Amino acid sequence: MKTYTICVFTENSIGLLNKITIIFTRRRLNIDSLTVSETERKGVSRFTIVIKHEERDAVEKLVRQIRKVVEVLAVFGYLDEDVVFNEIAMFKIPTPLDSNTIDMETINRVHKAYLVYWGLDYMVLQKTGTEEEIFDFFKYIKPFGILEFIRSGRIAVGKTPQGLVEYLPEEKEWEYLV
Amino acid sequence: MNEAVEIMEEKITKPESRILTGGQALMECFLRESVDTIFGYPGGAIMPIYDALYDYKDEIEHILVRHEQGASHAAEGYARSSGRVGVCMATSGPGATNLVTGIADAIIDCTPMVAITGQVASNLLGTDAFQETDVIGITAPVCKWNYQIVDADEIPAIMAKAFYIARAGKPGPVLIDITKDAQIALMSKPFEYKKVEGLPGYHPRTVPKMEQVEKAAELINNAKKPYILVGHGVLISEAMEEFRELVEKGDIPVGSTLLGLSALSIEHPNYMGWLGMHGMYAPNVMTDECDVLIAIGMRFDDRVTGDANLFAKQAKIVHFEIDPAEIDKIKKAEAPVVGDAREALKLLNPLIEKKNRSAWKKEFRDLEAAEHEAVTDRDLARQGKIKMAEVVRMVSDKTNGEACVVVDVGQHQMVTARYYDFKKPHSYIASGGLGTMGFALPAAFGAKMGAPEREVVAFIGDGCFQMTIQELGTIAQKGLPVKIIILNNNFLGMVRQWQQMFFDKRYSFVELQNPDFITIGKGFGIDGHKCEEREELEASIDKLLNSKESYLLEVVVEREENVFPMVPAGRSVSEIRLK
Repeated sequence: MKTYTICVFTENSIGLLNKITIIFTRRRLNIDSLTVSETERKGVSRFTIVIKHEERDAVEKLVRQIRKVVEVLAVFGYLDEDVVFNEIAMFKIPTPLDSNTIDMETINRVHKAYLVYWGLDYMVLQKTGTEEEIFDFFKYIKPFGILEFIRSGRIAVGKTPQGLVEYLPEEKEWEYLV
Repeated sequence: MNEAVEIMEEKITKPESRILTGGQALMECFLRESVDTIFGYPGGAIMPIYDALYDYKDEIEHILVRHEQGASHAAEGYARSSGRVGVCMATSGPGATNLVTGIADAIIDCTPMVAITGQVASNLLGTDAFQETDVIGITAPVCKWNYQIVDADEIPAIMAKAFYIARAGKPGPVLIDITKDAQIALMSKPFEYKKVEGLPGYHPRTVPKMEQVEKAAELINNAKKPYILVGHGVLISEAMEEFRELVEKGDIPVGSTLLGLSALSIEHPNYMGWLGMHGMYAPNVMTDECDVLIAIGMRFDDRVTGDANLFAKQAKIVHFEIDPAEIDKIKKAEAPVVGDAREALKLLNPLIEKKNRSAWKKEFRDLEAAEHEAVTDRDLARQGKIKMAEVVRMVSDKTNGEACVVVDVGQHQMVTARYYDFKKPHSYIASGGLGTMGFALPAAFGAKMGAPEREVVAFIGDGCFQMTIQELGTIAQKGLPVKIIILNNNFLGMVRQWQQMFFDKRYSFVELQNPDFITIGKGFGIDGHKCEEREELEASIDKLLNSKESYLLEVVVEREENVFPMVPAGRSVSEIRLK
């Protein structure tokens, strides 16, 4: 099993998520994670989809099937070594008056996690990193009690000299958000 | 008449100053796309469109079908015989879901279609309103593209996109769902229509890369035993002339897929027959003998390849295909050529060396003898009960192989492919990929609408006929002559054959108690008669073909006839059985 990161650029329209995911459903592929957001080009969305698969060939066919969706502008499939990737996670930790002291220094320096919110009897720590790093931190923080844990899907940039948006079709005058 | 033409021209050339409703805008879009025929069925959520259509009846002919499935199959038949985009229309909810089978059929057989469905008003979307169904969700997996319009202003741009997508590249069905309020509302600006010729996300390559063509030419020229498999793509891109040139220049034998039938006349000396599960012997087994396999506009369906891993494994494959997703999907291509078949062949032909490959072609002909002895001669022996094969062959002879033949799905479909001698292109209209029983009757009617000058003959099994039997009403109401032949064996024949061969003759629910088809036909206003004896067959077929109106001929055939040759499902073509 290898992990593949599939980056899909699409027009931002209603129902598109369904049109993309049914391609996975039909091939009985389970999606590990999925992140969608608008790119720096207005009206263009970027999907980052992570799957695990044994055959590279099947992933290539999948990529070509996704490319067939009319609103899809471009699709790129990557192995982990071809991309820089990260996830973000948040941990809600209880902080009642009589609880163990939390070692903020280790959290900051070793785990590179940060305090982002301090409530009356809980705090929220935020950690970015790979899945592995996030779960390492999860193990570290677990003894303090975790009220809530949330992990985002992967986001990734290709290790290419250009940004992927540069590969998008040129036929339209793109309006830039920034 | 002249006045009508003038009015139409005025409509097309003058910018519309009047503000149109959504429904009227849709009609104007149809005119801009030269739509002259719509197959449809009205209902609550599409009534404003039908109201607009009332004012356009002189320009657009609407055919009222008897069931929406009939509308989508008729649109397919129309598209397949005419090469134009078939248009069908239905209301929301059950109307839309009834279209789905035809849409699924169209995508797998690459048939250009635009389906319009009405939808509940936009403020009711998602409320389980009367006749509301998520048609976009339902049809997404079977549409090339679909879209829901909730604003009348969107109509011109979306329809232009819809027609472009339906016919561009590999053709397919597009569904546009229009909410009732968008049909009623006035547009906020004058109607303007701009045809689409490419989209940021969809701009299929038509002219292939020259280096791909050169590599293909090199492989073909150096081949000792090249073999062409011609598919539907050659017919879709109207590349028959260019294709014939390639075949003759390289003197290459040709096998056809089921939907590639009629791309090359059966009389051509290089035509060896068609291949696949029930295809002919030589074209099937020679896939194991060729050194270069040239696939043009075909996609290595499992009914063609059997076990794909074993199929033509000794051969280098040259694959001409417009859809990049098809390249290497089933068989790895040594030389893929991505582009339109016609454009590709235009580039390829000058690079092909003139050859004489008669020795190689003879190898095909030598194999034919075995098939003749074991299958063909027996099928055409004219002994015992009437056989499907002799009916088809007689119709073929009497129509000089020039009719447009529409078939349903099952044994009769395979027998027709085997025994009709196709001499003109676009002459075998079948549900190939989806295998949709009930396809033929509405599709035959649609085919006649698309090519009224051609004789349209439909071969239909007794099981299939009862799936869309109500379309006899549509045929009778329009009055265009469609010649219908029911090959009645009182069984769901293909399933029965499989049960006989692979399930120990356990005939599980395949025998039919049939109605009196002729009385039913007459009830709909279509004359016909039943033929049970061989002596009456010729006169019966003459009566059918000579009829100026639609005619229904029921031929009672051998009940437990089997179709051979046969490659058992999932096996190698080398395991082909002749009996």
